[in-house]
Amino acid sequence: MKTSNSLWLLFVEGDEKAFSALFKYYYSMLHNYGSKICGNDILTEDCIQNLFVYLFENKERLSHIKNPNTYLFVSLRNSIFKQLKKRKAEERLAPETEQVISFEFSPEDFLIQKESFLSTTTILNKMLNSLPTREREVIYLKYYSGLSVSEISEVIEISSQSVSNTLLKAMKKLREGALKGVLLSALA
Amino acid sequence: MDYKNQNLINQLTEDESFIRWAKNSNKNDVDYWNNWIINNPNKIECVELAKTIVLGLTFNKKSVASEKINDELDKVLAKINSRSASKDKISFKLFNYRNFAIAAILLLFISIGATLFLSSEKGVVHKTAYGEILDLQLPDGTSVVLNGNSQISYPKGDSRIITLVGEAYFKVKSIPATKAKFWVNTNDLQVEVYGTKFHVNTRKKKTKVVLDEGSIHLKLKNGLSKEMVPGDLVSFSKENNQISHKSVSKDTAYSLWRDGTYTFNNITFKDLMSNLEFSYGIKAEFIDKDLEELKLTGGIPNQNLKICIAAIEKVTGASVTQSNNKLIIKLN
Repeated sequence: MKTSNSLWLLFVEGDEKAFSALFKYYYSMLHNYGSKICGNDILTEDCIQNLFVYLFENKERLSHIKNPNTYLFVSLRNSIFKQLKKRKAEERLAPETEQVISFEFSPEDFLIQKESFLSTTTILNKMLNSLPTREREVIYLKYYSGLSVSEISEVIEISSQSVSNTLLKAMKKLREGALKGVLLSALA
Repeated sequence: MDYKNQNLINQLTEDESFIRWAKNSNKNDVDYWNNWIINNPNKIECVELAKTIVLGLTFNKKSVASEKINDELDKVLAKINSRSASKDKISFKLFNYRNFAIAAILLLFISIGATLFLSSEKGVVHKTAYGEILDLQLPDGTSVVLNGNSQISYPKGDSRIITLVGEAYFKVKSIPATKAKFWVNTNDLQVEVYGTKFHVNTRKKKTKVVLDEGSIHLKLKNGLSKEMVPGDLVSFSKENNQISHKSVSKDTAYSLWRDGTYTFNNITFKDLMSNLEFSYGIKAEFIDKDLEELKLTGGIPNQNLKICIAAIEKVTGASVTQSNNKLIIKLN
């Protein structure tokens, strides 16, 4: 069993040390994901705080949850969307500006591996940001957060099949884009 | 790409053995899949794509600094703590003679829970008795002067999240390198600062904040926020949702306690005495009711009750005599 899963079990049984350990284990992961969704660190931190207060106060009701990975990502995602909607409503923005999810990548987000088909972080970054938001989020959850296809399908509420297809489509686009990029840089 | 090929790619990307081949991590798998490719040359495109997906992108994973994570954890624990404290009060109201036994057991559990929490997580508590003044230096360098009959507490390891009941004057040490914030929580609101000097009073079922230096961000418990500049006085009561935000001038009525001195401006004799009632645990009794509304401006030393009484007599011209826990005030 994964460490995170056994920590979760201890936590729902009422172990306070497991609660702290769980918090430390997930904090960076959730913080990065949340900031990518909304581009706002303070909002993300508030949402994570509230999420963990909720977990602590409702642990008896959470024993049926077997996979904390999915549960925490889904909860954070929902709570950030709720807050964003609330803010939008407060600012009385016109509905057409309601592009809640941002998911912008930056060149520092990537490490380039030797075996990778992509030569520079800037090209990769440009191409990734030109993908639709949904595809970007799938890529992020898969390769950054290390979630499996079925976990991703629960987090963003689409079928596993769609997750695989989205991944496939996105990686194909990147591959083709990279080939073009390499050709262009060779011509230049 | 047709449906069949897409399916194959999806299968490949989920196949443990294929993943090991793509990552070149197991000789058996490498041999197996190399052999498979030779026998299925028409699937090379699919295999290449599946490999691309498996290898994917390598992200430069950023971790949040561990100090920051610990800070955030302390905040969560403090929140849980303050909420469980208010829940305990509710449980107390549920105390019911008919279910005496159950309630008693419940109460026992709650108190065991509360003490465990107090010792393990809640951490540090400073409390003053009536008439006692405590000059504290917190671990982060902030200085707090705690008036009589008051209490501050903070989670172990983070003295920048304070809970206050009573009256105190804060000189918060700013930490420019990390821009670390400092919080004072009361029943009515939360004071958020970087480094400033300010006075907080939670008596009389409301919280009063007077800012001397710097700036303050207030989060009221009704969801509103307020920004304060030096010289501002904000008072808020959660109970009746009354807010007052004004800047202190020579006409505003206010009292301020700092460095062991009560400074007051244009407040009534009665209000002055009620401030002292809270910190010294005494009761003021006006024999001559006219004195109650007498407007006063000035300052009195607040180190001990005797000096305090002498100063009040001098300022007001009234006679103040102490008998047990009462101060009798009358015209001379």
